[in-house]
Amino acid sequence: MISRIAWRNILRNKRRSFILIISIMIGVIALLLTDAVSIGMMQQMLTNQIGADAGYIQIHKKGYHDDPALKNSIANTAPVRAALTRDGGSTSFSERLRTFGLVSSAYNSSGVSIVGIIPREEERITTVHDYIVKGHYLSNNPGDVIVSTATAEKLKVGLGDKVVIMASRIGGSVGSEACRVVGLFETFDSGFDQTHVYIPLPTAQQMLGAAGRVTEFVVNPVSPKMTDTIAQRLRTGLSPDFEVLTYKEMLPLLVMQIQLYDQTIYIFYAIIAIALIFGIINTMLMAVMERTHEFGVDMAIGMSNRRIFRMILTEAFFLGSIGTIVGLVISFTIYIPLSHTGWNLAMFSESLKSIGAGTIIYPVMKASSLINTVVIIPLAAVAGSVYPAMRATKLQPVEAIRSN
Amino acid sequence: MNTNGSTSEIVRVENVRKIYSDNGVPVDALRGINLTVSPGDFSVIAGPSGSGKTTLLNVIGTLDKPTEGKVFLDGEDVSSKSRRELADIRLRKIGFVFQAYNLNPVLSALENVEFTMMLRGIDAAERKRRGLALLEELGIVELANKRPNEMSGGQQQRVAIARAVSNDPRLVLADEPTANLDSETAVKLLELMERLNHHDGITFVFSSHDPQVIERAHRLLILKDGQIVTDKVNV
Repeated sequence: MISRIAWRNILRNKRRSFILIISIMIGVIALLLTDAVSIGMMQQMLTNQIGADAGYIQIHKKGYHDDPALKNSIANTAPVRAALTRDGGSTSFSERLRTFGLVSSAYNSSGVSIVGIIPREEERITTVHDYIVKGHYLSNNPGDVIVSTATAEKLKVGLGDKVVIMASRIGGSVGSEACRVVGLFETFDSGFDQTHVYIPLPTAQQMLGAAGRVTEFVVNPVSPKMTDTIAQRLRTGLSPDFEVLTYKEMLPLLVMQIQLYDQTIYIFYAIIAIALIFGIINTMLMAVMERTHEFGVDMAIGMSNRRIFRMILTEAFFLGSIGTIVGLVISFTIYIPLSHTGWNLAMFSESLKSIGAGTIIYPVMKASSLINTVVIIPLAAVAGSVYPAMRATKLQPVEAIRSN
Repeated sequence: MNTNGSTSEIVRVENVRKIYSDNGVPVDALRGINLTVSPGDFSVIAGPSGSGKTTLLNVIGTLDKPTEGKVFLDGEDVSSKSRRELADIRLRKIGFVFQAYNLNPVLSALENVEFTMMLRGIDAAERKRRGLALLEELGIVELANKRPNEMSGGQQQRVAIARAVSNDPRLVLADEPTANLDSETAVKLLELMERLNHHDGITFVFSSHDPQVIERAHRLLILKDGQIVTDKVNV
C-alpha cells in the first residue's frame, strides 16, 4: 500500500514529476550514448591500429621490440614458419622487413618507416589495401612503392613518378632504391599515413643487404579472443631466441587508455548522479513542504517515521526508475541504428584522423554500462531523497497538522 | 489501582501544564489540568476559542507533550515515551477525527479506512472485509472507491470516523468534528457516533462549542483560560 500511495503521489503533481523524469531521462541518454560513442571510438582506434599495422601477434628476434634495428632481424625464418604452420590457431601470417629511412623526390624528402612486405600475405593480415585511393596495391614488381596521399603531396609526386628510398644497410652503409609510385593510400590515421611506405620484401632485403631476413612475423589468430592462448603456445613452441608479443604489449598506450577509460567513466557517472541527487533533493523537499499537513495527519493516526521515510524514498525510486527506463528505451532507439550505420563525424575528420579513430564512429554499448546505469541512477534518486525524508520524519505532528 | 494509574480509566491527566512560546512570549495554554475519562464515556470539552480545548485534546492524544504533569493512557504513562512508542500507542489505542476531515487525498474512501489497518499489519483481505463492513455500517459503502475530492464534507467526515474506529481503538478524539458541516449533516454524524458509543462501547472525547454536540454529551467539561471551570456528568 505504501508503494501505491507513493505512486499516486508522483501522479499528483504531474508537471513536476514529468520535468524530473525528463531530466533523469536526458542524463541517462547522455550517459549511455557518450559512453557508447567513447567505447566505440577507442575500440576502433585499437582495431584500426591492429588492422593497419600491428596485427594481433608479432614474432621478432629477441630484443627487437626494445631496439628495432636491422641487426636484430631474424636471419633464419624457418623455425618460425614451422612453428606457425604447426599451430592451427592462426588463420594467416605475414613476414616484413622494416627499417627507418628517407623517401625523397626532386622536391622534398620525408622520414618514414620503410616496410618490405609480401603483398599477397599482407592483404590477409592488414587493411592498407582497403585504403588505396589512387592506383593499385603493391604487386611483386621489384621497383614498385605505395605511399600515402599525404606523403605524395609533401614530395609533390603522383602515380607513375619515381621516388628514391634510402636507409642504412645491415652493415652500416647506405642503401637506396629508386621506385615508381603505383598506389596512394589514405587511412583513418594521418600520423600513420605520413610515416609509412611499402615496397616488396625482396626489394627491401636487397636494398638493405638483408637477404632472407625479416624483422617481424605478423600473425592473426582464428579469433581475436584466442590471441593470448596462441601467443603463449608460440612462446612455448619457439626457442628463447625469439620474442612473441601480443597487441597489448605492442600498443600499450592504447590498451592502457581503454583500461583507464573503464575507470574514469565512473567520474562521469558520479557527475550525473550528483546532478540528479540535487534535482531530487529539490523536488522531494518541495513535495515534503507541500505535504507537511498530510504527514502530520499520517503521524497522528500512527504512521511511524520509518514508514514515512520509506514512502518518500519509494517515490524517489519510482521517479528514478521511470526516468531510467524511458532513457534506456530512447538510448536504444538511437543506439541500434547508429551501431549499424555508424555516426558520421566527418566535420571532425582532421581531429579524428590525428588520433587514428576514423570519421565514422560505430558506438558500442557494453552490458556493464547498462547495468551501471540501471543500478546507479535509481540509487542516486533514492540517495537524493534521504535528506527530504529525514526532514519529514523530524516534523512535530501538532505543528505539521496546523500548517495547512 | 496499579502504580501507573487505574486500568478502569482510559485517560488520566494529572496536573498538566502546557506553556507555548508565542514569539518569545510564554503563553499558558493549559494550567494544571486534572481529568479522568472512563471507558464508554461520551464527553465534550467545550469553551471559547483559545481556552485550550484543542491543546488538551492533543496532549491526551499524545500529539503534544505537556510542559508539566503526566498523562496516562489505559494505565500507561505516556509523558516520557519516545516518538516511535507514541506513534505505536496512537495506532493501537486512539482514533482521531479532525475538523477538516484530513483524509489522504490520493486514497479512495475504502483505502483511507484500510490505511490505518495496514499500518497495524492486518492482511489485505481482512482489511478490505473490515473496511467495507465499516463503510456499510456508516452508510457510505457506495462511496468506497471515491476519492475525498469526489465526496461532500459530511461523507468525508463519515470516512474519517470509519478510519478512526477501524483499528478498534480504546478512545476516539474528535476535534470540532461538526464545525465544517451543516446542522443536518452534523446531527446525522453525531447520531452515528452515539450509535458507535452505545453499540460498540467506543469512548469518545470531543472538543467543540457546537450546541448540538454539547447537548448529546454525557459529560461536559468547560475550559476557560486553560483551566477546567465546569465538569458536569449526565448533562
